[in-house]
Amino acid sequence: MAETTYLDAIRRALGEEMERDAGVFLMGQDIAAFGGAFRASKGLYEKFGRLRVINTPLMESGAIGAALGAALAGHRPVLEMQFADFVSCGFNQIVNNVAKTYYRWEAPVPMVIRLPFGGGAGAGPFHSQSPEAWFAHTPGLCVVAPSTPRDALGMLKSAIRDPNPVIFLEHRFLYRREKEELPEGDVLTPLGKARVVRSGTDVTVLSWSWTLHESLAAADELAKDGVSVEVIDLRTLSPLDEETIFASVRKTSKVLVVHEATLTAGFGAELAARVGEQCVEWLDGPVRRVAYADRPSPYNKKLEQRLLPGRERITRALRALARY
Amino acid sequence: MATSKTPNAAAPSAAEAVAPAVLRRAHFLMHLSRAWDSRFEAMARVGRIGRWYSAVGNECTTIGTALALGAGDALSTVHRDLGAVLTTYLDATRLAPTLFDAADATAWDALRPDPSALLDRLASQVFGRREGFTRGVDRSFHYGLLRPEWGIRHVGMISHLGSMIPVASGLALAAVQDHTDRVALGFIGEGATSQGDFHEALNFAGVMKLPLILVVENNQYAFSTPLSEQYACARLSDRAAGYGIAGETVDGLDFEAVHVAMRAAVARARAGDGATLLECMLPRMRGHAEGDGSYELIPPAEREGYLAMDPLPRFEARLAALGLADAARCAKVQETAKAIIEDAVERAIVGADPSLDEALRPVFAPGEVAEAFARMSTEVFDG
Repeated sequence: MAETTYLDAIRRALGEEMERDAGVFLMGQDIAAFGGAFRASKGLYEKFGRLRVINTPLMESGAIGAALGAALAGHRPVLEMQFADFVSCGFNQIVNNVAKTYYRWEAPVPMVIRLPFGGGAGAGPFHSQSPEAWFAHTPGLCVVAPSTPRDALGMLKSAIRDPNPVIFLEHRFLYRREKEELPEGDVLTPLGKARVVRSGTDVTVLSWSWTLHESLAAADELAKDGVSVEVIDLRTLSPLDEETIFASVRKTSKVLVVHEATLTAGFGAELAARVGEQCVEWLDGPVRRVAYADRPSPYNKKLEQRLLPGRERITRALRALARY
Repeated sequence: MATSKTPNAAAPSAAEAVAPAVLRRAHFLMHLSRAWDSRFEAMARVGRIGRWYSAVGNECTTIGTALALGAGDALSTVHRDLGAVLTTYLDATRLAPTLFDAADATAWDALRPDPSALLDRLASQVFGRREGFTRGVDRSFHYGLLRPEWGIRHVGMISHLGSMIPVASGLALAAVQDHTDRVALGFIGEGATSQGDFHEALNFAGVMKLPLILVVENNQYAFSTPLSEQYACARLSDRAAGYGIAGETVDGLDFEAVHVAMRAAVARARAGDGATLLECMLPRMRGHAEGDGSYELIPPAEREGYLAMDPLPRFEARLAALGLADAARCAKVQETAKAIIEDAVERAIVGADPSLDEALRPVFAPGEVAEAFARMSTEVFDG
């Protein structure tokens, strides 16, 4: 069977859900005949037409607000931000309008906002950011970040079917690099469930998306030292699967959080706080974090690599933690 | 290529005459809206409610436009659009049977629910009571009511005013995607026309030829900021040309002019001819919110000029000229409206507060995300 890339998995999810439900439609910049900046919707315009694959003018706030209106009319919009960085132009619509509607007057808002995010491409300060914490801080938003083609497929399909707004973070570095064989049929991954990717007994790593893969590589290194690392792919950041996290912490007693977003007030702070509040009697060391330095993302690739939380930095942090 | 259509705002011709039944209904709805405002303004003055944003002066605009909608059309309102809310929600003929003939009831009225119950919910909403649309979670017109079986598809505001214009464009987009001839009517003050969302939404509506009618209630001031500090163009409707949509400025105190312009805009939208920016010029008859000091900033002579422009006496003079209402009829309409509002407000005043559990009600609609949220130890906020 042929392998499917992360990007192809996204396209498959979009196509299958549009086929299944006539209310599902796509909006975004350059997504129609061009297929989007990353070609995630390539071919869908030809199949579903201009009212279901809508090229918008260059706007974010206006598109998100329009998607909210369409969602309130019973449709299921799937928005693509060309790069996650640009979602800041639509921030108000997301955090004030979209996120608060259900709590305020109980109208479901079935909407997915896809954010191609992350660094590693030397793309500079405005095409490299990891904005998950902006949204995880806002009640009423589901925030997900799959790391594999299978989860990209299954979680996007679940997100489109869910009656709530989902911030869907797709790592652009993984689009063409991650590939695997995927089953036929209706592949669904539940939202709100973490996955233990690698079982271990000495240290727990909590991560997601690109850094999940770097963490797995680091765990291989630690295995050579005889240290057994458990790696958990959070997949959904909000709502958080505390049960899976806490069960692992109780087993290993040591926690390293790894994320690509900048350190201060990053989602790792929330994880460290929750582990501290709920598992302190099981801990044998500090909850440590490996993250992007508190800087914008530099353009020169060597400068960017200096700040990215890659496998070497994760390996060093794991070794230090293992010594406690 | 889209062409701008800018019909002039001449007085309605004979062919454009507004039906007596529409005028009679408008008359009652105007008094209903005015009675509501009078009651809440009085309560705001003595501190019985926290804030009130009066719609006094806006009635011809809100009711004149909303009366051109049909069942299933979408409505998006901000905070001086009580008239449009009442017009859309209420079977006026059932609420005030002594004022109407059976023939005045429309096909939409047959779909609408008990008007008295809806009015009670609206009053409870403003007081933050349990029976309100948000059960105490959000204020006054910050809610929506989506009941297609009643023909009502209403999306209320958030405090970020311009934010609702894209939402209205999305309601219009859904109508196109559903291959219906439904339209969306959105209201906005002139203040929010300076925000980016105004531009993005109208540009999108132009490109997509959306059946959107955006009514700008231009009441001269945004909070305390006069028009001269808000925009430098002659008329806001001139901006329509820049979006390739129709634009028109009308006297927002002239019910027939508003209604005829709106009817034309709705007809264009239903025919697939796209959006309209309808600017309704209004006097500033009240401050931003009651008692916030913004009205006192306006020079007294200017204020008195605005107050003298009250659209209700003007509308009643027009009804008299048309032979549709004499002084006795006008008094009866006013008294009936006042009594109805008084009853609804009294019931809301003694209404129950929401259960404290409402504060912690779910942020997610039922499903696996809501279930995952419920499993979290979120309640550690209490320490």
